[in-house]
Amino acid sequence: MTATAPTTGEPLLVVRDLAKTFKAKRGWPVPKTVAVRALDGVSFSVAPGEALGIVGESGCGKSTVARACLRLIEPDAGIVRFAGVDVASAGSAELRSLRRRLQIVFQDPASALDPRQRIADALGEPIRVHGIAKGQEVARSVARLLDEVGLPPSAARRYPHEFSGGQRQRIGIARALALGPDLIFADEPVSALDVSVQAQILVLLEELRQRRRLAFVFISHDLGVVRHFCQRVAVMYLGRIVEEGPVPAIFEEPLHPYTRLLKASSPVPDPERAVAMNLQEGEPPSPVDPPPGCHFHPRCPFAMDRCRAIAPALQEVVAGRRVACHLFDQPGAAILASGQEKPESSRISP
Amino acid sequence: MTALAEATAPAATVSASEPAAITVEGLTASIRIAGRWFDAVRDVSFEVRRRETLALVGESGCGKSLTALSIMGLLPAGIGRISAGRIVVDAVDMTAADEAGKQAMRGERIGMIFQEPMTSLNPVLPVGFQIAEALVEHRGMGRRQAQARALELMELVRIPSAAQRLDAYPHQFSGGMRQRVMIAIALACSPKVLIADEPTTALDVTIQAQVLALLADLQVREGLAVLLITHNLGVVASVADRVMVMYGGDVVESAPVKAFFARPTHPYSEALLAAMPRVDRPSEALAPIPGQVPTLPDMPSGCRYQSRCPLRIEKCAERPPLNPLPGAPEHRVRCWVRAP
Repeated sequence: MTATAPTTGEPLLVVRDLAKTFKAKRGWPVPKTVAVRALDGVSFSVAPGEALGIVGESGCGKSTVARACLRLIEPDAGIVRFAGVDVASAGSAELRSLRRRLQIVFQDPASALDPRQRIADALGEPIRVHGIAKGQEVARSVARLLDEVGLPPSAARRYPHEFSGGQRQRIGIARALALGPDLIFADEPVSALDVSVQAQILVLLEELRQRRRLAFVFISHDLGVVRHFCQRVAVMYLGRIVEEGPVPAIFEEPLHPYTRLLKASSPVPDPERAVAMNLQEGEPPSPVDPPPGCHFHPRCPFAMDRCRAIAPALQEVVAGRRVACHLFDQPGAAILASGQEKPESSRISP
Repeated sequence: MTALAEATAPAATVSASEPAAITVEGLTASIRIAGRWFDAVRDVSFEVRRRETLALVGESGCGKSLTALSIMGLLPAGIGRISAGRIVVDAVDMTAADEAGKQAMRGERIGMIFQEPMTSLNPVLPVGFQIAEALVEHRGMGRRQAQARALELMELVRIPSAAQRLDAYPHQFSGGMRQRVMIAIALACSPKVLIADEPTTALDVTIQAQVLALLADLQVREGLAVLLITHNLGVVASVADRVMVMYGGDVVESAPVKAFFARPTHPYSEALLAAMPRVDRPSEALAPIPGQVPTLPDMPSGCRYQSRCPLRIEKCAERPPLNPLPGAPEHRVRCWVRAP
């Protein structure tokens, strides 16, 4: 760790009003350029050693958050500050040193590893490039990394295709660890894995978080995995954070109607608490042409006139919990909402 | 259909006297690897009645999809074969049928939907045409009549503004809507049996809930026997009537859904549940299953789970039978320790 460590209590990563609009060409035979607002004013922070979960459905912008924070894509607006350094304005040398401390693990390690590169080289390359070790020392570092993620030293001589999905994800994690990062963006790291292997990887990540005091931005669509791994969660819907809060509370009593719908739709292995299936129709609208006001209003059972016109701001409604919903505009509204029947039995219908 | 039953439909009554819509007896399917044949599905037997859902659960490589492909007669020739067993659908033996006979059965008596609808749909044909195709082929309908029926089917699976979308192409649909199109195709000829292979795995949870609800509703209306193949025990708890857990090609546990979740008995079933992080309760330490599923050539003889099992005894070198638990004849477990 070369750069100055953040003082205690100071967040490691601060993101303010991050925005990104993609231009896409749609239509045939004459394509029209359309704007996709992938991120629309996203703000959050992560403390050292903390795991922040970002949940949401496909197309809500959760992967774009990771890419924009790492400057793998350039954000249009907003501030990303990591350990006091402005990532957005960092020059190439500064960015290089930042990237040592900010790493990413992808969903599909098979497509993130070079199929013609032995594991020793895949892990050794960043170590060499960043000048962390030289010569014989590189091999020793690789062996240490493999051991840390639970792979035998013999793995170094093999190629990615010789490993199972779970083992490949261990290699992906080892590569992210190679430069001794402080924060890892994990983009659906266990989604492609079977339950038993998924549990192995989650246990490994938890060990690493505690041993190395690693912070995580853990992106997932699986509420169960996030509840298990994260201390705080941000729920995204069409480019905006709609709810954010500490982990036990947000799952025990979700406040935003969308978070409630997500929880009610997540199947649990208990026939007595079957998922609130209903014939309610409606899908997330296209981010190309999102509805005005609150993006969730066309699917929301509590939608009011105000929701169709004005986008609600993300504001604190209970200590430590922020919600972007007009139901919580007046003081006392939170109590009103929480006094309703339990979310798992409520059938959210239009 | 536990959840939906309360919401919209009267409880699906499964009459024991009614003959099963599909019966599978002693199905063994083999796969050829490097010139040798290995049993990838061993001696699997079950039946599914009309309006009943049987869930086949397990991790990748446990043989659940291979079971489905065997039933459909879709094992790739030369690489896969049915080595033993009988598959009887609607009183007709599928295994005895020739290719033309199988072709007539598929679509007509059994429909199947897959995980990723985009790879099953033809990207250059309108969806209405693809739904109508089954009716033209199997029912000998004229184009116009088939198109009209296709529209009815799209309305049946609740695709909004179906009439306008009859001529739309698959890429113009969302994932959930594409899966509805697949369901419409599978149901075009009113089959008795629907095989759903991971039908909601590629979908977001809120869309998954909609598609499961739709399937449950159609099942009651059309009197379908559903064989649901999934890795998700949460989905099983929500929609299945009975469960079969597979490991390494063997059925290791078979039970009514409530009995299974109340008392998961095979060490593998138990381990699967302990490895699953849950959204409905405070997080406990996860207990991963050590190691991984052995490849087919490396499968131990006897109990196939023994290499990962904490309860292993010497007798596990012999293959245990699928024994009923004392006092629960419907709850059967393949384990020398738990069901000797």
